[in-house]
Amino acid sequence: MAHEDHDAIYDLLAARGVSRRDFLKYCGSIAALLGLSQSFVPEIARAVNQAARLQPAVWLHGGACTGCTESMAQLGTPDIATVVLDILSLEFADTLSMAQGEDALAAAEAVFEREGEYILIYEGAVMKGFEGNALRVGGMTGLYELEHAAPGAAAIVAVGSCAVDGGFVMANPNPADATGVQAYLEEKGIDTPVINLPTCPMNPDWVVAVIVDVLLLGSLETGAILDKLDRFNRPKYIFSQTIHDNCPRRGHFENGNFVTEFGTEEEAKGYCLYKVGCKGPQTYTNCPIVRWNRKVSWCVESGAPCIGCGSLDWVDVGAPFLNRHRDLPLPNIGNTQPSTIAGVVAGVAAAGLAVHGIGMKATGRTSGGAPYEEMKERDRKRMKKGGGE
Amino acid sequence: MAHPAHYREAHPFIFVMTHWINLVSIVALTISGFYIHYPFLPGLMSVARGMHFFFMFVLLINLAVRIIGAFTVKSATRLGSREVDTDIKNWLPQKLNRGQMWPWLKYYLFLKKEHPIGAKYGVLQKLAYLFTVPLTLAAAYTGFAIWGPTMDWGFFIAGTDAVGGPMHMRIIHYYIMWGFIVFTAIHVYLANIEGTDPSKLIFKWQETEGLQFDAEGKVIGGKGH
Ligand code: HEM
Ligand code: HEM
Ligand code: SF4
Ligand code: SF4
Repeated sequence: MAHEDHDAIYDLLAARGVSRRDFLKYCGSIAALLGLSQSFVPEIARAVNQAARLQPAVWLHGGACTGCTESMAQLGTPDIATVVLDILSLEFADTLSMAQGEDALAAAEAVFEREGEYILIYEGAVMKGFEGNALRVGGMTGLYELEHAAPGAAAIVAVGSCAVDGGFVMANPNPADATGVQAYLEEKGIDTPVINLPTCPMNPDWVVAVIVDVLLLGSLETGAILDKLDRFNRPKYIFSQTIHDNCPRRGHFENGNFVTEFGTEEEAKGYCLYKVGCKGPQTYTNCPIVRWNRKVSWCVESGAPCIGCGSLDWVDVGAPFLNRHRDLPLPNIGNTQPSTIAGVVAGVAAAGLAVHGIGMKATGRTSGGAPYEEMKERDRKRMKKGGGE
Repeated sequence: MAHPAHYREAHPFIFVMTHWINLVSIVALTISGFYIHYPFLPGLMSVARGMHFFFMFVLLINLAVRIIGAFTVKSATRLGSREVDTDIKNWLPQKLNRGQMWPWLKYYLFLKKEHPIGAKYGVLQKLAYLFTVPLTLAAAYTGFAIWGPTMDWGFFIAGTDAVGGPMHMRIIHYYIMWGFIVFTAIHVYLANIEGTDPSKLIFKWQETEGLQFDAEGKVIGGKGH
């Protein structure tokens, strides 16, 4: 029986151009991501194989650019992650479904009826502005769709920064009053567990890893997943170290080899991007390890400073992307770099001291100060009032 | 010439040492801090960070020593006198400081001609020195909150979340450096503007003659009387 299962999945994979070896290697990388030893590989492979009979998954969109779907699907040349996700019985996905219109919505509705059985994958921000009308789906607001789908889900995976906290959609001035799934559900008193996977877009391998963990290895059922989440409900095995901790350019950082300007010899040498605004030291994701675009490369390796898209409130906190510190919004003045503000304040203080020094010189106090008062002013006043001893 | 005598009792030797160590640490932390903020020369990052991570502990241990000293060492109760009492009593506001805030402000704003009576230190000076303690602790807190080995301790995470993440913590740490720079500029200016006798004492432990005061702040003799 188990043997037949294996055959089934390998046939499926082979049809998409994925060899058995590639697949096992991929399961190995998932095991590594989850912090499991390689002895778990067969178990993961078996779990994926049986997945079609486990919980179905639904992929909904809020206010999104669809970049996360793009990141996941990479439609031109489907890779293992896509195939695996396919097998995970993604029964409805706004963007990817073959079915359209009412048929597609009916498919989703059929899943929603299986209370407690399905996983909801949510991409995009929850836009509360315009009475929820910034997004309309099937004649209803996007908010309604989320509120309708969330309570019955076994768990929600919020993919990409937008679903986590509103992402770029909620960047200043946030016209659509965007927020993240978790915050919105808390507001509505819906307590379905939410697993957050920030970055813009999210990394497909993380989605697969989390699904394997939650569904197939059963950590949702046993509750083990809760211990694996940090205080922002992000899996610790992905979000506990900074980019900087694992960066291949770290040696250049320590040695003080920096790129100061693009288009220079330093850039060609692959020096550290700290001076051109790399947010790696403040950004907690494992991008350098998991890598992107089917593990071809990732931001810093490809020569771009990390813009901190894995942080919360990442646009306002990370911009300007080529500066070390964020801008501070000053009333009536606008966005200003912290160093400019500090320089102005310190300059005013220095000028004040210089002017004061001229005054001290003019009043003859610079060689020993003025003569001392005989007694404190207030004692003198008291004496004048006749109360003195 | 109307300045007070500067006697060694004002700064017992241990405080001459803590002041030196403080000065060296702050200078080292500021230079390395500027470098970490924006590496203006190639090749020195590990030196700068090594320096920063060394002197941050020196600064804190020095603060601890200074505070223990405050409770265990006796220092002069006022300038121009050799009479001593437990240092902390002289460091915090004393009887002679009472009601003197406004006269000091007027003096420095050129609205008062005569030098106000001080105690161990004048009112503004005491406020400024007192301010260095929370400033140092704030530098330490924000610093440890962005330091790899300690940043995920619950105590620091609570602060990092409260200020909206590590980027903001870094900016606050950076502003604390500017707090030290502005404090030091004003401090160095005021300590020396009326003559360098105070510096001779705190750096070289060298006494200089001048006015002597009684416990009421009255001039009772000394050079310049
Ligand atoms: C006593 C405790 C202190 C601790 C624990 C501390 C720790 C740190 C740490 C861990 C960093 C980050 C280094 C890196 O990421 O490579 C840092 C940066 C910095 N420190 Fe401190 N520091 C302390 C005191 C000071 C003081 C007294 C000053 C200045 C007067 C200072 C100025 C700076 C500056 C300007 C930066 C760069 C911040 C940035 O732009 O990111 N630090 N410090
Ligand atoms: C070139 C630099 C400096 C000079 C010339 C200087 C000078 C002095 C002088 C003359 C005094 C004694 C004041 C008096 O007896 O009336 C003093 C005390 C003091 N200074 Fe400085 N100082 C310098 C740097 C600093 C720095 C960088 C700090 C700390 C950030 C600092 C903190 C203090 C404190 C806290 C006291 C009180 C001393 C005590 O009670 O232990 N000083 N300084
Ligand atoms: S490129 Fe960025 S993450 Fe990499 S070492 Fe430099 S500062 Fe750190
Ligand atoms: S390296 Fe930085 S900018 Fe790139 S995906 Fe990771 S967190 Fe986002």
